[in-house]
Amino acid sequence: MTRILAGILLAAAPLLAPAQGAPAAGSAAAIVECMRANIPSSVQVKEVELIARDRTGGERQLRGRLYATNDKDRIKAMLKIGSPPDLAGAAYLMKEGTKSDEIYVFVPALNKVRRVTGGSMDGPLWGTDLSYNDLKQVQNAFYDPNAKLEGKATLDGTPVQVLQFSPQPDQASRYSSIRAWVEPKSCMALKAEFFEGQTVRKRFSGSAKDLRQAGPHWYLSDMLVADLKEGTQTRIKVTGVAADKDLADRLFNPSTFYVGN
Amino acid sequence: MQRLTRWIAAHPLYCMAVVALLSLLAFVTVYDLHDGRLRLKIDPTIERLLPEKGEDRAVFERARETFGDSDAVLVAVAMDGVFTPEGIARIDELTRRFGELPGVRQASSLANAPNPLAKGDMLEISTFGAQASEDPERVKAFPAEIAANPIYRDALVSKDGRTVAFSISLGDLSEEDFRKQDYTGKIRQLAREVSGAEQIWITGGPVIKAATVDALLDTLAFTLPAVLVLIVLMLLLVSRSVYGMLAGAATVLISLLWTMASAVLLDIPINLVTAIVPPLLLTLGLSYAVHLQADYYAVKEQSAEARVLHVLSKVGPGLVLSGATTVAGFLALMPQALPAIQQFAGLSALGVTFGMLLTLVFLPSALRLQRQNTVRRPLGERFFLMQARRLAVFDLRWRNWIIGIALLTVPIDLYFASRIHVGTEYIKSFHEDAEARRDFEQINQAFNGASIVSILIETHVNDALTDPELIAQVESLQHWLRRQPEVGSVVSYVDHLKLINQSLNEGDPAHYAVPREAAAVKQLLVFGGSSEIKRAIDSRFRSALLTVRINVDSSAQIQDLIQRVEERLHELKPPLNASLTGSPVLATRAVNAITSGQISSLALASFAIWVMLSFMFTSPRAALLAMLPNLLPVLLYFGILGISGISLNPTTSMIASIVLGIAVDDTIHFLARFNADARAKGNETAAVKSALASILRPVTFTVLSLCIGFLVFTGSELKNQVQFGVLASFTLFVAWFADILLTPALGSKLRIVTLWDLLRLDLGQSPQHTIPLLSGLSLRQARVFALMSKMEKMHEGGRLIRHGDLSRDIYVVVDGTLEAWIDRGGERKTLATLGRGAVIGEAGYFGQRRTANVDAVTPARVLRFDSQDLERLRLRYPRIAAIIFRNLNRVQAERIARTTAMLQ
Repeated sequence: MTRILAGILLAAAPLLAPAQGAPAAGSAAAIVECMRANIPSSVQVKEVELIARDRTGGERQLRGRLYATNDKDRIKAMLKIGSPPDLAGAAYLMKEGTKSDEIYVFVPALNKVRRVTGGSMDGPLWGTDLSYNDLKQVQNAFYDPNAKLEGKATLDGTPVQVLQFSPQPDQASRYSSIRAWVEPKSCMALKAEFFEGQTVRKRFSGSAKDLRQAGPHWYLSDMLVADLKEGTQTRIKVTGVAADKDLADRLFNPSTFYVGN
Repeated sequence: MQRLTRWIAAHPLYCMAVVALLSLLAFVTVYDLHDGRLRLKIDPTIERLLPEKGEDRAVFERARETFGDSDAVLVAVAMDGVFTPEGIARIDELTRRFGELPGVRQASSLANAPNPLAKGDMLEISTFGAQASEDPERVKAFPAEIAANPIYRDALVSKDGRTVAFSISLGDLSEEDFRKQDYTGKIRQLAREVSGAEQIWITGGPVIKAATVDALLDTLAFTLPAVLVLIVLMLLLVSRSVYGMLAGAATVLISLLWTMASAVLLDIPINLVTAIVPPLLLTLGLSYAVHLQADYYAVKEQSAEARVLHVLSKVGPGLVLSGATTVAGFLALMPQALPAIQQFAGLSALGVTFGMLLTLVFLPSALRLQRQNTVRRPLGERFFLMQARRLAVFDLRWRNWIIGIALLTVPIDLYFASRIHVGTEYIKSFHEDAEARRDFEQINQAFNGASIVSILIETHVNDALTDPELIAQVESLQHWLRRQPEVGSVVSYVDHLKLINQSLNEGDPAHYAVPREAAAVKQLLVFGGSSEIKRAIDSRFRSALLTVRINVDSSAQIQDLIQRVEERLHELKPPLNASLTGSPVLATRAVNAITSGQISSLALASFAIWVMLSFMFTSPRAALLAMLPNLLPVLLYFGILGISGISLNPTTSMIASIVLGIAVDDTIHFLARFNADARAKGNETAAVKSALASILRPVTFTVLSLCIGFLVFTGSELKNQVQFGVLASFTLFVAWFADILLTPALGSKLRIVTLWDLLRLDLGQSPQHTIPLLSGLSLRQARVFALMSKMEKMHEGGRLIRHGDLSRDIYVVVDGTLEAWIDRGGERKTLATLGRGAVIGEAGYFGQRRTANVDAVTPARVLRFDSQDLERLRLRYPRIAAIIFRNLNRVQAERIARTTAMLQ
């Protein structure tokens, strides 16, 4: 359940990029550098909407607010669920640590905060197609020194650069590689495919027309995550994104993160 | 008909060219020249034997669509030191490697199963594998933790802790690819490499289906060549000519090619039922070819065309009738609801029709082109003639005993038939040493169940399954299921829910319970659920799947469980709506549907054949007589099923209809010949002898071919196919036995008029109007009377009646001219010139001596009948007899009136 934080980070924070951050000379390292340098110091998303669709077409909708900060390349993020009403009030806090991540969950029905450790890295988030591991991989990609530039391509009429990332052994990834289609102007990945062996397991995709700017940063306001093996998909919509804001510490405090609106 | 026969005999090259062209088309239909592969589909799935639009299939598909395929591959690996850090690491590695196999959606085992651990406010959610890696000491606690978890108990590790289970869910890997790429072998190899274990067992739906297809293909690979060898040998034996053998074999193979092309065009796959069709058609085709060739090589006509004409006119009608009754036997299976049976029936009927047509068109044409048309003394002719004579004497002498004993077997057979049990044993279809069976039984024993059935609960209301009241009903159902002896384990979302609740409440066992509020239930399921919960409840909480592991395999036991479970499911209150599904359930329903249609199919086959025979023999009673010697072996077959304990299953249930359709051919051959001979000889006893002498040899050869052909199935790896082979050949043998004993005994007092006779009989223009004795009859009735009498040909100057003789025959002139005269002092005095329609000799009927001579002035044909013929006619065709008697009286009255007038 803690992976939702990373999911939101993917939806907003990691994909935010400054408009001025154009890649240098088109090398893989330059593109990665551009992508990494673009992570904002903080982000507030007024509304995050997750629409999970199962293989029969059944949908479940969750809405909430997201707050995230980037403190010395360690991300802290908190999501508070607003709807549906019977899930309202649930909250998640994730603090990335040097050795391990700290994840806290508040379940209103129990009226308790639980610190969750370990975690099933590849498990789904709230029945969505996002997992903590997927999003960690995206984040790790920003620090992959061995990323390879495979060439240029066109994605729905938009010119893109195709990069391949290979997870390092210490990252304990289930994926053998990740291929990303990066729009060079925004340094935004419009599409990413997660490979298990030779097979694409998951696909993240968005459209260039959904690229938005919050201040100097770009973000995708609408994107789709598809689990190709399970035949399920999750749509993520974000609205009201504000970057580089000062966020209150209580939002990231395990004792108080769930209190208030 | 005769024109067609003549045309075939006159144009052999044309006939063969048409057949060759059609065969070429059939070949390119069956074989994809571009890809170099057969276009025939092979479909091993039992569930697809059910109707596509049936509710059972719909439930199965809904469950599969919502919760994924429940037909996982189960792997059990016997390992030393399972509960050691090294053991867990090996399991982890093997799980990962299984998951990396292409087409595998998910591999699960002890290593990647989440093991929630509560420590105060902390909740550690990680897998057994991760926990063992981080803290090797924790491994010691695993056995107790697994035993306490109802989801994992007896599912991850066997009770003795020595065998580890892996579940491999397949993604978009088709059953065909699973088999062709030998996934079972790959999984076994991988398990051996990674675990180093020697004992590895693999089962589950995909594995058993693949093994079944392999067994079917192996069976076909064995039976088809074996039947082909049989064809070659039998045809060589019968024709004693390599050319004849080649022509016969080509006929049989072409009919199979056409049938397989039809299967491709009609989109009929080779499945568990239709796999019997190819060898069956080869066997039947062989019997037709043997029959035709036996006569062809025995014909004494000099020219090849004359031989063909003779054979076609002599064998053709019998072959058509034989084919028609066999087709009727197959088509009687068509009303069955199961598509696989309909496909089998349709394909077999088509195949028999092709075989029959080719035997009548292609084979004679091919034989006609043979350069050396030597007449050969048929093999074993003398032996069979001798045996036929003995047999006829025996049959006639012991007729009443034979009929009595045959009838006595009826109640005995019915008694034992009442003990037949319906059903099949899926895995026990394999030989005891078969890997698929051995692995299944081992896993079934180690984990108390190796087959999975599911209960799909649907509410059609979002979030309904978070209602604690409804959850209580589901929980109660689970408790009930666990008490059933066939059930090894039951897992539902309720188990997941209770575990999440316990985990989030410091692991307190008191919280291993369902929360009281629906909102709490929903929050726990949404925020606490692992990926596994997706297989137990849908994302909208409106439908759920209970996974039930069962330890039984026979359809009878599964049916028993189905019945109890369904009764229990009816007790659930709305909006809960539950259905039992899964491959074993569907397969059991298919078996029941097939076998329950047995009686109706058999009745329909019998009725259809009876109608055809009635039409052909123009007598329902004679048709019934022809049926009797064939119904008795079928009854005996059912009796044997009851005695032997062999179940009535999809394969054995088809035998009765098939055998009935085939065996009745021999009866037809005997009765048709008997009728012709009896009419020709005017003596039924002599006709029994001559008919037996005529048919014993070909019928014996045909039955021998069929029996050996069916016995080829005993080479199959699948028990049900072995049973099919043994039982079908045995029943055919019994039918042959009945045909050479009972049919002659029953038929010795019967004269049968065939439709062929009717069609062939020429009584001239409108006999009912031009022959006074036949006045008032229909054309058909006139022909029946004529055939119940004897048609005699007179040459010019021949004497029909001699003055003064004592004879009771009456004659009717059909055509030609005769003259009645008396000798008066050496002078021939003509009394009358008699033409068409004249009745002669009626005085003899009343016991008087002949009063004049009657000679043929021109070649003539007359119908001869006596008081016995009229009595037989009265018994079998009373309406015809009444009109004949009336007309006879009228003729007599006119004659008396004329005589009286002359005297006056």
